[in-house]
Amino acid sequence: MANFEAAMKKFEERKEYSLSMGGEKKLQKYKENGWLNARERMDYLLDENTFQEVGLFTESAEKAMEGRSPCDGKVIGFGKIDGRPVGSLSCDLTVLGASSAGVNGKKVGYLKRMVCGKGIPLVFLGEAGGARMPDNMGSKGMVTMLGNDPTQYQRLREAPWVAAMLGPCFGSPTWYTMMSDFRVMKKGAILAVSSPKVTCLATGEETPWEELGGWRLHSEITGLADMLGETDEECIDILKNFLSYLPTNSSQLPPTAPVPAGSGKEMPDILKYLPESPSRVYDMKKILKVIVDGSELFELKANFARSAITTLARIGGKSVGIIANNPMHRAGALDADACEKITNFLVLCDSYNIPILMFVDTPGFLVGVEGERKKLTGKIINFMNALTLVTVPKLTVVVRKTYGQAFLNMGGGRNSDTIVAWPSAEISFMAPETGVNVVYNMKKEDDPEKFAEKMKIMDLDKEPWNAARIFNLNDVIEPAHTRDWLINMLTYHFNYKTNGIGQHLMHCWPTSY
Amino acid sequence: MKMGDITAPMAGKVIEVKVSPGDSISEGDEVVIMEAMKMEIPVVAFEGGTISEVKCGVGDAVETGAVIVSI
Repeated sequence: MANFEAAMKKFEERKEYSLSMGGEKKLQKYKENGWLNARERMDYLLDENTFQEVGLFTESAEKAMEGRSPCDGKVIGFGKIDGRPVGSLSCDLTVLGASSAGVNGKKVGYLKRMVCGKGIPLVFLGEAGGARMPDNMGSKGMVTMLGNDPTQYQRLREAPWVAAMLGPCFGSPTWYTMMSDFRVMKKGAILAVSSPKVTCLATGEETPWEELGGWRLHSEITGLADMLGETDEECIDILKNFLSYLPTNSSQLPPTAPVPAGSGKEMPDILKYLPESPSRVYDMKKILKVIVDGSELFELKANFARSAITTLARIGGKSVGIIANNPMHRAGALDADACEKITNFLVLCDSYNIPILMFVDTPGFLVGVEGERKKLTGKIINFMNALTLVTVPKLTVVVRKTYGQAFLNMGGGRNSDTIVAWPSAEISFMAPETGVNVVYNMKKEDDPEKFAEKMKIMDLDKEPWNAARIFNLNDVIEPAHTRDWLINMLTYHFNYKTNGIGQHLMHCWPTSY
Repeated sequence: MKMGDITAPMAGKVIEVKVSPGDSISEGDEVVIMEAMKMEIPVVAFEGGTISEVKCGVGDAVETGAVIVSI
């Protein structure tokens, strides 16, 4: 009896130590700032009472860190989100800066192997200072931690990985974030290779935190942050919302949701969002909101490459991925960033069995030196390559303009399962005026009458009727019927042979470029 | 470029200037209309303030990022 008592006493003491994180003082700072600590974040993420921790009794293997490194700074385990199983990792910055070291490396490797093998999503709640020193210094240090797992940075999209940047992310939380399908950033968090201190030592430059890796940089310039949140809770809610559109793994279909009352009720008036004059701009999102369930868009990278829209949504309760041009920004022209953003999104939807819808209104690619310096040529081709590798349904609606190569990139030619146009559509190789400039080598001012004559030749045929006539468009549809048409076509273009599961030809596509 | 500079979102031609120095504007107001890729593109203010300088005229060709209006 005494033996058990002693053992149980040790059990309780060690458990208390493991749950103590970085101690009262550090945890108090979190409370004062309105931040959730590592364990509170895990609890907020998961359905009540579902957190099954793994490795509660771990700590650093180094003698010097005994008693000072509960859970070795990284809390891992399994739990449920909206009743669906997930694996999750929460970095504990209060314990040695959640720095990467031998034992927590083993924990993370284990978690990744389990979720990839069984096929459940992985959630990273990240903030950490980088690799632990001095543990990882020297040749022994490098091998025990950094050189130990050959699949540590491999990503095969067996199941969704999502990441929240909730504080400074240097080293491992940065790597997990970059491997993820979806990334949300808390304002005030930083995503960078190394901290400003280390960076300054290496380069001699002192860079302010926000400039090195703040939310503005990653939301607007790099596009590495898909969404932003003000607080820990908001960021975690965003992760859960994202996961609700996706399946548990790539061999399953996304869950079906109830269709909110009133969905699509504005469809009869949808044309009021399209200006009469074809040279005027408008916000394509307004049109999309009329069409989708509950007028709800879950838009990724909203502040990056704004001339394109990449958003998840539901139609008839089913998840869809919508790619659209937004004339309100840069006339809806496709620039290098827009091509990247769309390519990323094609890979996401295709990898998780989400049908792709394209709404087209673009004057073409944004040519010029800016584009060439950003390798626009390559990005156009990556986009095309990805589009042709998609094996989930692709449905395209040409709302207004679609010109040149961009016509093909936006689902034209035979790059969709079905493509239709609104009567307002304009389809051609290039704008007629430019055509006259190029072919006849003249400007309007040179000879207005002759120009007008040549314009008549070039301007022929950009209306959709002749394309529909020879079956290069499946149909011209009434704008007010678009939602019903989509619901119908999602039914007929479902892949019944595979129960809607795609071939995932892009499951190894890079997670950023 | 300084804080408060409104820049051209893409290369194009200025076809209408809607403000003058001294005007008071709010976030979202149109300051200039440009033409690019055969479309009329309004350039809007991202924050409110008073126009200090208009750096372009009707008919000017501008590059992406060129400062066109200062607040």
